[in-house]
Amino acid sequence: MIPGAFDYHAPASLEEALSLLSANLDDAKVLAGGQSLLPLMKLRLAKPEVIIDIGGLDELNYIREDGDHIAIGALATYTDVAESELILSRCPLLAQTAVVVGDVQVRNRGTVGGGLAHADPAEDLPAAILALDAELKATGPDGERWIPASDFFIMMLTTSLMPEELLTEIRVPARDGYKSSYQKVSRQAAGFAIVGVAVCLKESAEGVCEDISIAVTGMTDVAFRAEKVETALRGQKLEDGAIASAAALVTEGIDPIEDVNATPAYRAHLAQVYVERTIQAARAR
Amino acid sequence: MANADPKQYVGLATRSKEGPRLATGQGRYTDDFTEPGMLQAVFLRSPHAHARILGVDAQAALSRPDVFAVVTPEDMKRDTKPFRPGRYAAGLKKPVEEYAGAVDKVRYVGEPVGAVAARDRSTAEDVLESITVDYDILPANTDVHQAMAGEDASLIYEELGANLAWQGTLEYGDTEKAFREADRVVRENLKIHRYSSTPLEPLACIASFDRFSKKLTVRTNTQVPENIYDALRDALSLDDIRVIIPDIGGGFGQKIHLIRKYVVIVALLAIKSGRPVKWIEDRNEHMMAAGHACEQHFDVEAAVKNDGTVTGLRFKEIDDVGGSVSTLTIHFTNKLNNLSNTYKVQNIRADGYSVVTNRCPVIPNRGIGKPGMCYIWERIIDRVAQDLDMDPSEVRFQNLVQPEQMPYTTPNGNVYDSGDYPGLLKRALEKVDYPGLKDEQAREREKGRYLGIGVVIGVEPGGRNAARDMAIFPEMKETPGSGGINGATIKLEKNGTIALYLGSPNCGQAHETTTAQVAAGILGVSPDVISTTTPFDSDIAPWGVAAANSGNNFHLYDIGSIIGAATQLREKVLKVAGHILDAQPSDLEIADGVVTVPGFPRRKLTFAELGKVAYNNQALLPEGIDAGLQTTFYYTFPHAQPNMVPGKDGRVRAQFTFGAGAHVAVVQVDPRTGKVEVLRYLIVGDNGTIINPDVVDGQIYGSAAHGIAVALGEGFVYDDEGQLLTITLTDYGKCSTAETPAIEVEHAPSPSAFTPLGQKAAGEGAAIPSPAAIASAVENALEPFGVKVRDLPLTPERVWQLIKEAQA
Repeated sequence: MIPGAFDYHAPASLEEALSLLSANLDDAKVLAGGQSLLPLMKLRLAKPEVIIDIGGLDELNYIREDGDHIAIGALATYTDVAESELILSRCPLLAQTAVVVGDVQVRNRGTVGGGLAHADPAEDLPAAILALDAELKATGPDGERWIPASDFFIMMLTTSLMPEELLTEIRVPARDGYKSSYQKVSRQAAGFAIVGVAVCLKESAEGVCEDISIAVTGMTDVAFRAEKVETALRGQKLEDGAIASAAALVTEGIDPIEDVNATPAYRAHLAQVYVERTIQAARAR
Repeated sequence: MANADPKQYVGLATRSKEGPRLATGQGRYTDDFTEPGMLQAVFLRSPHAHARILGVDAQAALSRPDVFAVVTPEDMKRDTKPFRPGRYAAGLKKPVEEYAGAVDKVRYVGEPVGAVAARDRSTAEDVLESITVDYDILPANTDVHQAMAGEDASLIYEELGANLAWQGTLEYGDTEKAFREADRVVRENLKIHRYSSTPLEPLACIASFDRFSKKLTVRTNTQVPENIYDALRDALSLDDIRVIIPDIGGGFGQKIHLIRKYVVIVALLAIKSGRPVKWIEDRNEHMMAAGHACEQHFDVEAAVKNDGTVTGLRFKEIDDVGGSVSTLTIHFTNKLNNLSNTYKVQNIRADGYSVVTNRCPVIPNRGIGKPGMCYIWERIIDRVAQDLDMDPSEVRFQNLVQPEQMPYTTPNGNVYDSGDYPGLLKRALEKVDYPGLKDEQAREREKGRYLGIGVVIGVEPGGRNAARDMAIFPEMKETPGSGGINGATIKLEKNGTIALYLGSPNCGQAHETTTAQVAAGILGVSPDVISTTTPFDSDIAPWGVAAANSGNNFHLYDIGSIIGAATQLREKVLKVAGHILDAQPSDLEIADGVVTVPGFPRRKLTFAELGKVAYNNQALLPEGIDAGLQTTFYYTFPHAQPNMVPGKDGRVRAQFTFGAGAHVAVVQVDPRTGKVEVLRYLIVGDNGTIINPDVVDGQIYGSAAHGIAVALGEGFVYDDEGQLLTITLTDYGKCSTAETPAIEVEHAPSPSAFTPLGQKAAGEGAAIPSPAAIASAVENALEPFGVKVRDLPLTPERVWQLIKEAQA
């Protein structure tokens, strides 16, 4: 439970971090809050020879309003997000999700950028990011580019970030007038999601679904949008029966993972139940 | 004797002595100690469940300058001796040699194959990767039925000729007659899974060897100093051994048995390197190889009269004991401790089968076989109730031992010291308003909300009797010890304060607080001036063979020896003071550490003044009285007869005191997800006279929380190759505070007729009936679906499957 030896760098600026990263492309890992990387290193499942600790880069630690969007620096912690007045008022789904990540220590230390870049299939935040159609800013030696959330997660522990790029900002559209909820099944309160569902919806006074986005995490090796469920509900009156039959579509074409926490059959069943329940929970807000 | 009142502080929640230290992170655990030149050790462990070791190459490791010692299977064979077969392995047809580490074969994933001592931990972990082991991989037997299956199964111990390593029967009364004359026979198959108590501090050890005096000192977090002492003597042929036990971060049985393997190997590294060596176990290692509670399969049948009276119980038990024979029968013989639970039944037969498998060895774990025995009783009683269409609580009332029968001798020879079992159950049902609760349940069911009520009862045995195991091993020629013995030393210091030295270490029983409370009343001082000496140190502490902090021993042996030593010290204090004050000792009184002659306010002597005389001033000592004010007393339970050693009839006092608890669990089950929520958990308990209510409540909360978590999902899962899939607390499903329901406790003590204060045990009691309570409540909630609960754990997925299966 002691990591192997590594060289440690604590760059003073983003620029320095990027050049360190470019200089050590094959053997470097970026350390932010350390809540995923350090356990892997202690178990020696990860043995990076170089650690680039960006935890001190204050320039990446912010949450600010940007017109119709909210910009979140990669180093904002889960607690920062969960407690941000701005996020709570204009995009509460992010806060609703961040507040159930891990335990208090993990939320205080863990960063949203670190968690997303790590791309654990049971991580909560990818569901919210997908449901919100967020964009993620990748900064590399040649400048910046924006990656839509739907293109960000490639497979388990793999994102579309290039080796020389850092995730620097997450930009989410404000969802004024929307209702949202994130619900997850985990064995312990602080546990990873066996299934986690994020829902963001807008309904008319008559209860007709004007817009809905649903994303599911924990089910497969990457989080995904439940597009079939969304399509089935858009423009429909959100009645119990309609929600239940639409929710059943969440597992169509999906091959759930098997692990010690759940069989694929149970995961699939939970996804259906939780899509339904999360829609109901969002409506009740 | 004048005004000695052992009960003066009994029953008071006096200020905790160790609590503030432990709660604020100021405890001193094994890992908090360093020694000059100390090395760090790590273990090389088997990645395979079953394999022959063909060779180990550690040359690369040994050639490094920062590596100071390596232990391989060759070293193990050359430099150590196998452990002596213990009392649980006495029934083996052929003796099996078990060394501290694997020598010829590995029999479970994580089994220690070797160890490295290096300059620091990181180096040691690096070096481990350079040691190569040539394994001939054998088929893994990971299931008892598969392991028993006969010739096709590969043998785990060739010398035994079968994986069914032991088979034996316990029979009391005439079960055949009971079943012949029964109105009906109720049958069920049950299973309890593998779990652990997962103490927060894993195993730990620092060994140092003085090559001139040949003295070995180990600092370790064992619960049982004598086990370590004996193991080191046996394995390393050493005579001068000192065992120091600092603060322990939880025991629960996990630190009694397998820890000796590691201490022996760490000691060998210290001897080979000539340097002190520290080893701190990782969580993953602890989960893989520090020991599990046994997976137990039960085929149960009850002989029943139509009025609900159970006249006989028969069960067949198959135990998956893992890849060691050293605890072969422990979960089966422990059934003797609560074989008839709280019930009057006179005819019981148990057929035990101990099967070795390629899984982690089993060890003592919070109640050992007792939660299983209680599960057998409480599940079958529920079945009887269903069969007869009676309320489950009615069947229990029908069969309970009555208070006027106390002291009550059970069919297997246990003597229940006191108790009002119907009273406990009645009070528990009143407290939850059982009829009202059933009405609410019926109303809620109409609305699609599934509430369940589980009502169970169980005894909580305390004390220790190693002769118990002769009941299943009649071939044993001499007793492996009998009864329990434990010492305490008390010293009145020169300044008038009091120091206690206990024969057992503290692993969560609040030794320091509780013993001071008891000694204070006898000695006539405030508990504040009494300190218990920590850490435990075998060089100065009295020995205590019962000092296991297992089997709920503290209340009996530690408290008994404190009372004995304090009483002797008081007598001596009075003699010396009487001489100085020119008064009869029997006329003197002691209060607040001052000896007075009643009616003569100026004739008094403080303990500090007495200390000065006793250690300094020979002329003032009465003739015939030795100097010094220090006493040592070894306690044995004075009521251990009859049945301390089993005779031909196999009747034996498996334990000596018997508390009890009635548990009511109220749950809500979400039939769509299978999720069980415990809405209420109530215990009405008899723990005898309570010395410190805060301490006892803490014991009850902890053990109830564990039993509930065991029932609801925590446990070990292996794949077919014998790889353990649950090596983290997360995957293991450990419940956190958020998942643990509030535990309501009401005390209804029946003081023991046999113990000095009326005290009984409290440490494991709530873990014994709680798995059964949850099983009962979940089954009751899902009655409309026709679900029967047989196996634990009841994970949400398992409950979901049960509903699906019942509906199919």
